Amino acid sequence: MIHERYFGRGFLVVSASLVVWGALGAKLFSLHLGDNEDLRERARRMHQVQREVKAPRGRITDRTGTILAMDLVTQDVIADPMVIQDRGQVPFVSFHAARLLDLDRAALDSRLSRPGRRFEYVSRHVPRDRAEMVRDLDLVGLRFEPQLTRHYPLGHLASHVVGFTNLEGVGSLGVEQALDPRLRPVSGLVHLIRDGRGREVPGQRLVNLPERSGASVELTLDATIQHMVEQALDRGMEDFNARGAWAVVLSVRTGEVLAMASRPGFDLNRFRASSPEERMNRVIGYTYEPGSTFKAATLALALDHGVVRPDDVFFCEHGRWFYGGRSLRDYSPHGDLTVADIIQKSSNIGTAKVLLRLGPERLYQGLLGFGVARPTGIRLPAEESGVLAPPAGWSGISLTRIAIGHETTVTALQIATMMNAIANDGLVVRPQILRRVVDDAGRELERFEPELAGRAIRPDTAALMRHLLARVTEPGGTATRARVPGYRVAGKTGTAQKVIDGRYSDRLNIASFVGFLPVDRPEVTIAVVLDEPGPVHRTGGRVAAPLFAQIAEPLMRYLDVVPDPEPATASARAVRPPGAGW
Amino acid sequence: MKGRALALLLRRADWITFGAMLALVGLGLLFIFSSTHQAGGSALQGLVRRQLVFAGVGMAVYAGVAMADYHRFGTWSGALYAAALAALALVFAVGTRRFGALRWIEVGPVTVQPSEAVKLGLVLVVSRILARPARLLREVRWTAFALALTALPFWLIFRQPDLGTAAVLLPVTLGLLYAAGVPLRVLVALGVIGLLLLPLGWFVLGDYQRQRLLVYFQPDIDPLGAGWNKRQSEIAVGAGGLWGKGVLRGTQNLLGFLPSTVAPTDFIFSVLAEEVGFVGCALVLVLYAIVLLGVFRAALQAPDKLGRLFCVGVGILLFFHAFVNMGMTVGLMPVTGLPLPLLSYGGSFLVSTLAGLGLVQSVYLRRRPRE
Repeated sequence: MIHERYFGRGFLVVSASLVVWGALGAKLFSLHLGDNEDLRERARRMHQVQREVKAPRGRITDRTGTILAMDLVTQDVIADPMVIQDRGQVPFVSFHAARLLDLDRAALDSRLSRPGRRFEYVSRHVPRDRAEMVRDLDLVGLRFEPQLTRHYPLGHLASHVVGFTNLEGVGSLGVEQALDPRLRPVSGLVHLIRDGRGREVPGQRLVNLPERSGASVELTLDATIQHMVEQALDRGMEDFNARGAWAVVLSVRTGEVLAMASRPGFDLNRFRASSPEERMNRVIGYTYEPGSTFKAATLALALDHGVVRPDDVFFCEHGRWFYGGRSLRDYSPHGDLTVADIIQKSSNIGTAKVLLRLGPERLYQGLLGFGVARPTGIRLPAEESGVLAPPAGWSGISLTRIAIGHETTVTALQIATMMNAIANDGLVVRPQILRRVVDDAGRELERFEPELAGRAIRPDTAALMRHLLARVTEPGGTATRARVPGYRVAGKTGTAQKVIDGRYSDRLNIASFVGFLPVDRPEVTIAVVLDEPGPVHRTGGRVAAPLFAQIAEPLMRYLDVVPDPEPATASARAVRPPGAGW
Repeated sequence: MKGRALALLLRRADWITFGAMLALVGLGLLFIFSSTHQAGGSALQGLVRRQLVFAGVGMAVYAGVAMADYHRFGTWSGALYAAALAALALVFAVGTRRFGALRWIEVGPVTVQPSEAVKLGLVLVVSRILARPARLLREVRWTAFALALTALPFWLIFRQPDLGTAAVLLPVTLGLLYAAGVPLRVLVALGVIGLLLLPLGWFVLGDYQRQRLLVYFQPDIDPLGAGWNKRQSEIAVGAGGLWGKGVLRGTQNLLGFLPSTVAPTDFIFSVLAEEVGFVGCALVLVLYAIVLLGVFRAALQAPDKLGRLFCVGVGILLFFHAFVNMGMTVGLMPVTGLPLPLLSYGGSFLVSTLAGLGLVQSVYLRRRPRE
């Protein structure tokens, strides 16, 4: 008894279900094999997270390993305002966070009250101990993210040389800027797998590019010497009421910069509070008329070319000389002076007359040989070049003015380099601020060797000049205040009037002294410059020379330099050096 | 002799359907393992072992039911239905709440889900009612009786709340009415009334149920909330490709993007889809097709109407569960909590499914000889 009707119905049911089954298969087919790269991609994206792993920036140290700049681990304190608002805890959180993090409570309150926000920095780069104090309070809606923060342990020391990094971690001044590519770390990259709750699945890292710390840079600076120099400058600023003061100490043979300081200064850890005026490294960034310090080079050139001898006598016009339609004055009037005395007394008129014998071309070329009025090539940003026009552009009196350090501008570093050549037997060495670049494992990546820039004068001329310049600090010279007990000092003072509104000011000076010691076996060259000292003393001999002595005296002890023999014999030798035929 | 009868039974049995069924249970165990082996420390660790025990119990039930004459179940259908219904009602009194729903009764070490038994009980009792000759079914009261017997458990299950399981009862009854030869006009009338009542249903639904329906039509309205499972499941399937990522290698499941509470149960198919790809899914579809065709063949060859209706009822149950579950996994159907027969974790359901298939085997064993 088969009911055909039920067979019909059964057939219908079976075929309908087969159709449905087919649809299921088709959908599976399209999901599995169809063009759904986006689904696959979405699955990948959800499980795989790319995370950047930060590494510390390289350190900056002095030549002894004293750390001048380093990265510290700090914390960013981040709030989720929405959560805090939901719990009605805005006043509570902002009260405690502001108290512990030194923030303005009202400002924080309003930042946390903004509706709809899920992310707000409460404070960035918070020192670890402070962050711990906040964390211990268990405030609602706050979290902490580790962060690397640049820290300068010695803050004020050598701030212009060390420089700083901006908030994005890019070096923005000094060595931090100049060697940014070396110091900069390489962030690591991690592709990790996370589970549905966003936690990392252990042992499942796909890509693991290791992070690399930045290389460390060792400077030629010596923090101790730097400190001596900065102390002297600070006293000088106060004693002579100066607007600025700067100094540089060079190691004679190598040209290494042992100290480089500039005032006014600033604290690297609070660089945002500093003004451009304070951030300027005047040693390389401030150009001025060198005045009499320039005579060390110009007179050396005249001697080197044999156009004069040390005992040649020049009439110094009793302090006022009309030449080329303009008058030239001496600070104190003199009659007849030997070339040696012209240096010691710093006679403008005598120097001008001497240099007239040398002529423009030889003077110009010779000065270039000393490395003045062009960048020294030191590896620091923002080095100024100064100005020295070629002879074609000179007026009738230009030669007599350039001879005494006018109509030209230089930096203190150039003047120090120039004087250093005289100390270094006539060889010009390029001043260096960098010693080594070392990776985080201590391997040396780069070493900076002393660099010879050329010869300025013959060795015998240099020896002669050393003794002539030594007389400057002896009785009768302009820089007796530069004397250092136990060591003979050679050097030259400079007092240049500042040009204000196109005219020489009779009150505002740049006072300087540049010299080296000990005279017969020079170790260091030191240049000291003061901007607008006054009101009582404003000459190089009165303000810069004493600062030189203040730096040089402890420096000789620190460097353990053997003192010279008794001053009496030394003085005699100074006037008549052995081998000099006069 | 008993031994002789047994040998005869064994020779007449539908071994193909049986084999496909066993294969599905085996696959289920494999992917329950796969979806739980990394869940880590939770109670889910022992799921495979438990399921293995359930499978054993289920096979025993299967064998028992298959050997028994199915007419006995017809005779006892009323009592079985009443017992299942009583258990279902008991849930409200002593049931255990899990994942926000009241569906389980704890009996010693096992928890029982009475709604699974109700499905089978309903098949039995409705089949029994409709087994009378078709001309008698022209009287609408039999249809009404069947519907009333359906409405009672429907309401109870709906209140648990478990809309998916409740919804299963409707196609079972409707399918049986259709297969039993209830006049078409009655069925059409039922359909019309149903359609008219549909909008009312919206107001009866719970919030989360409405949300699921909305998500089905607009998956992007809440990708992190109600749409999460559906979306993650689609991603899992899509990520599988032709051969899949390999057993135990599915990241969606492994990493907990498919919540570990649903991966071995309602979403086991997406675990499978990701790990063994299209090929594995196709295999599962084919295995189900073999089982279902076996069930329909048993229906066609049934010696009487009761047997046929038993087979139709079990077939509809299987089909509906399988289709809705897989459809949900691939985004063809809204998310409902219906497990995948034989594959999903869940003791009550596995045992009741095997019992149903045992019933079909019982009918097949007593089929009319070929003419």
